[in-house]
Amino acid sequence: MLEAFLISTIAMATPILLAALGELLVEESGIINVGIEGAMLAGAFFALSGVYFTGSIAVGLTCGIAAATAINAMLGVLLINLAVNQVVAGTALNIFAAGITGVFYRKFFGITGKAFIVSPLHALAIGPLARIPFFGPMLFDQSPLVYLAFLLVPVFAWLIRRTRYGLRVRAAGERPEAADALGLGVYALRWQALIVSGVLSGLAGAFLTLAYANTFVENISAGRGFVALAVVILGQRNSWGLAAASLLFGAAMALQFGLQALGTAVPYQLFLALPYALTLIVLAFFGGQARDPSALGIPYIRN
Amino acid sequence: MLARLAKPAGAIALAIALIALVLLALGASPAGVFIALWQGAFGNWIAFTDSLVKATPLVFTGLAISVAFSAALWNIGADGQLVIGAIAAGAVGPFLGGWPRPLALTIVLIAGAIGGAWWSAICGWLRARRDTNEVISTIMLNFVAVQILSWTVHGPLMEASHAYPQSMRIAPSAEMYMFMPPTRLNLGMILALVLAIAMYLLLFRGEVGFQLRAMGINRRAANFFRIPIASLTIWTMALSGALAGIGGAVQVSAINHRLYEKISPGWGFEAIAVALVARLNPLGIVVAAIFFGALDNGSQAMQRAEGVSPVLVQVIQAVVILILLAFDTSAWGNIREVFSRAPVAATSIEGADA
Amino acid sequence: MLEAKCITRRFGRTLALDGVNFSARVGEIQALLGENGAGKTTLMKVLTGGVRPDAGAVELDGSPLPLGSPDAALRAGIAAVHQSPMLFERFSWEENLALGGFGRDGGGFGLQQIDLHAVVAKARALTHHLGFELPPPGAIIADRSVAERVRLEVLRALSFDPRVLILDEPTGVLAPNELTAFLDLLRRLRGEGRMVVLITHKLAEARAVADRITVLRGGRLVAETTPAESDESELARLMIGKVTIPPEQQVAPLANPATLLEIENLTYRSAGVTILDGISLRLGAGEIAGVAGVDGNGQAELVEVLAGARKATSGWFGVRGSDGSSMAVIPQDRDLDGLILEMALWENFLLPQPLRERMTRRGWLDVARAMELCRAALGAFRIRAAGPEALASSLSGGNRQRLEVARALTQNPRVIVAHNVTRGLDLVATADVHRTLLEFAADGGAVLLISSDLDELLAIASRLLVISRGKIHPTEPEDRSPERLGLLMAGRWSE
Repeated sequence: MLEAFLISTIAMATPILLAALGELLVEESGIINVGIEGAMLAGAFFALSGVYFTGSIAVGLTCGIAAATAINAMLGVLLINLAVNQVVAGTALNIFAAGITGVFYRKFFGITGKAFIVSPLHALAIGPLARIPFFGPMLFDQSPLVYLAFLLVPVFAWLIRRTRYGLRVRAAGERPEAADALGLGVYALRWQALIVSGVLSGLAGAFLTLAYANTFVENISAGRGFVALAVVILGQRNSWGLAAASLLFGAAMALQFGLQALGTAVPYQLFLALPYALTLIVLAFFGGQARDPSALGIPYIRN
Repeated sequence: MLARLAKPAGAIALAIALIALVLLALGASPAGVFIALWQGAFGNWIAFTDSLVKATPLVFTGLAISVAFSAALWNIGADGQLVIGAIAAGAVGPFLGGWPRPLALTIVLIAGAIGGAWWSAICGWLRARRDTNEVISTIMLNFVAVQILSWTVHGPLMEASHAYPQSMRIAPSAEMYMFMPPTRLNLGMILALVLAIAMYLLLFRGEVGFQLRAMGINRRAANFFRIPIASLTIWTMALSGALAGIGGAVQVSAINHRLYEKISPGWGFEAIAVALVARLNPLGIVVAAIFFGALDNGSQAMQRAEGVSPVLVQVIQAVVILILLAFDTSAWGNIREVFSRAPVAATSIEGADA
Repeated sequence: MLEAKCITRRFGRTLALDGVNFSARVGEIQALLGENGAGKTTLMKVLTGGVRPDAGAVELDGSPLPLGSPDAALRAGIAAVHQSPMLFERFSWEENLALGGFGRDGGGFGLQQIDLHAVVAKARALTHHLGFELPPPGAIIADRSVAERVRLEVLRALSFDPRVLILDEPTGVLAPNELTAFLDLLRRLRGEGRMVVLITHKLAEARAVADRITVLRGGRLVAETTPAESDESELARLMIGKVTIPPEQQVAPLANPATLLEIENLTYRSAGVTILDGISLRLGAGEIAGVAGVDGNGQAELVEVLAGARKATSGWFGVRGSDGSSMAVIPQDRDLDGLILEMALWENFLLPQPLRERMTRRGWLDVARAMELCRAALGAFRIRAAGPEALASSLSGGNRQRLEVARALTQNPRVIVAHNVTRGLDLVATADVHRTLLEFAADGGAVLLISSDLDELLAIASRLLVISRGKIHPTEPEDRSPERLGLLMAGRWSE
């Protein structure tokens, strides 16, 4: 029982972690991307469509990544080159993605939602390690995307805090005018961050449809993109913190099914609301904006 | 006046062009779709009045957005606030049987206002006192509100026969006054107009409105001149939520007469498009709401005629917002409007002090 | 040799540079003089690639310089210290230098580890012959003093090993003793064979250190001269053209001035740091009390506390004869604190609470009255604006400041607190503001003039105080010289 819950926790944490890592890089460069939700949703739908129509997981993943990156690219033009209000643009892209995926979903599969089911992205057991009692299946018998997500944690920690590139990105988020005066190229750095984030959001979405639900329903992302935004704050902008916070929400989501299965008298809606309420409560205690990059969210146009 | 209309009109024209492209990609005929939309929205008297009816919740949520955004408070939770207002109305409504109708209606509307207000004020308080990002907090509460609605509809407020997932019907005395049956025109629409005028006066002729707008444009200067940022944040969010909540109450009282699982088809988000097209001006919001309401109304006909899902209107909404944002930027040589700029502009204004 | 030919640049309707020719030679310190608004900063931005000119070309040692690219300029060997601070406040000084020239070798995508030790070593090598100390390891820029930040900016510019070093008004924030050390530094850089360009509006400085002086006025080159050929009044004439400025006079102090402003033991602490330390002061009618100090010693916080924007930790202050609403405060940052640029002028007039109270009736604004009041003020103070409905952003810097002073006086205050009120203004606007303040004092008002500009204070203040590390100290009449004040500002009381 506990084992199943933990396996589920790690799996549920994965899309959030992937999206949050991408968002961390983006925010360090000075942009706040409220549109992760839309990118994830687009990634989810087009990944599944790719697999459904071609039978190839590689094609599916590529489609998912491409869709999410396209959403981010639209955002990039607005936020970076045109310096518009970041919250409104991100929200618009969420609506756009919901609309586009909804329209194409109904076009391909009708309202009846007939068998839009694919064979899942199988869990990849890592040989003998997977057979360790209790910890084995949880840590070593998960989908490859799970391994990727957690492996990226130290990669991002290193990239952002220890490399020159990371320093440049942080400079762009700290004081873009100064960064440009030094020839660091703020626009380019922000674009790069958005593209990387697009890839990760696409993978996050693909995970939802290929490895978790094995199908698509409208708004399957169910707010995970926003939870990812919260995770960046709660993780104190530190890759390891992000991993911890993602696991916390993964647990809250896994709890939904666990407690429902227990069949208590408590209404199931409470469990469905739990991750969101929990996010809010934790944010209320730990979510000040004091550690934000100084130029975060401020539209910037170079002279 | 014409110059002010040019941008939103141009944006809508460009949006139509882009939508036409999307439609072609879907294999539908753009002309057919637009004609169907028009017919569905304005083709006959009932359709026309229904467009207005569908515009009403957009006026309420649009006003909510305009009040909050004018103060640079990014309230993305109008949907949740509307739902809570609806729940409040739906909870109080069934028990007002026998009360005098004007009083019952007032109670229902006040319940809606209070419900929406405190749902939003929580986020306002969190922003004011704990510096919590209101975008995330309001969105989280959207999801919680949906679950609360689901629970009341399946649980405590469920209708007696337990056959359908819906709440008890509100008492007849809590029903909004209707005009000209069989249309669904109702008194709530007049209320929407009245509130639009009231919000316009508040924002542009009221002292509080001035302080709110100052805080939205330049928080630092507002603070320097002793504008009470913290309390203004909380009250602005409360007002914003109250407007959305009243919208929810009006829906229940005039149209639905009870609660269902999905009361709002996303009015809280559509309201962002409405508010932007109206450039956050409460009077403009009435006009923009009619446009989007008509679009919503026509989308059913669009599905019947061309097989395009009504969800397409979401794409239209989003495209309109995106184009308006793109038009409003200094990259195009325009003066930067209030929503393409954060409260304290970090960019230097070249040439002023060379 | 650096040569710029026929540089022209327009911003909207303003012609910032009009066919300017400029050159710099090796082993020479050149001063680029001009009023605020003459085009000096724009010219610098053209040279450093921050701004692309509409016309003209730049050559360095005979090769053309690609314009509009800061990266190209840095690579060609042109580095600058900008007027507004360009350091990353939250980063350490090592990280700031690493983002400069010290962290650039090895090209590539930048995935190498940051090597802060190497950065420190290079910094040490450089500062060794320049004679200044590096901050302690890991020190964050936000915690360093203003003078140190200027030095770090110079260091960062030098990290690119530039052939040309341009400094845009670097001395505005320095105390007099720090200034001498800074000018020596420039001489040493000249000795290294670099081309040094010092942009300034301070005549004495320019004549003290420059080999050649170029004067810009209204976007045009009006003179090239040397210190030997032109004295200060000649340079002033070149800078401002035919307009004459009446000499400023101090106010004769009243016999027994009634106390208008009382500050008693005002203390402000934040995050464990004492920023204002028991400030006590009495301001009498007819007085202009100048508070001299280097930026960053508590002036901004004092102004905010007096304005009511910040709460003091302890102590109190009050305006005699009223409940405190008779004090008008003009903050130092007019664009961010004093005005809301995106609002109309009449709306800006509603910002101060006393004015807002006059213009509202039970919660509703009296728009007509506000516009009238604004229109009257625009006329009375000769502010060039399209009308009360014009946006504040449409005004030039000088007019914005005049607007703030006008607004302050419209409140009919008894006390005016002004912080760096003439910073960034040209000589005519500066004289205007000074004259207004002098008239205000002559009429019986009191002015608390907080400024880092000693010339201004020595010119119009009737009494001088010094603020250092949050403490205020009175001065004696014999302290009324830049050298003495410099020492006091640096905190050296006993000498």
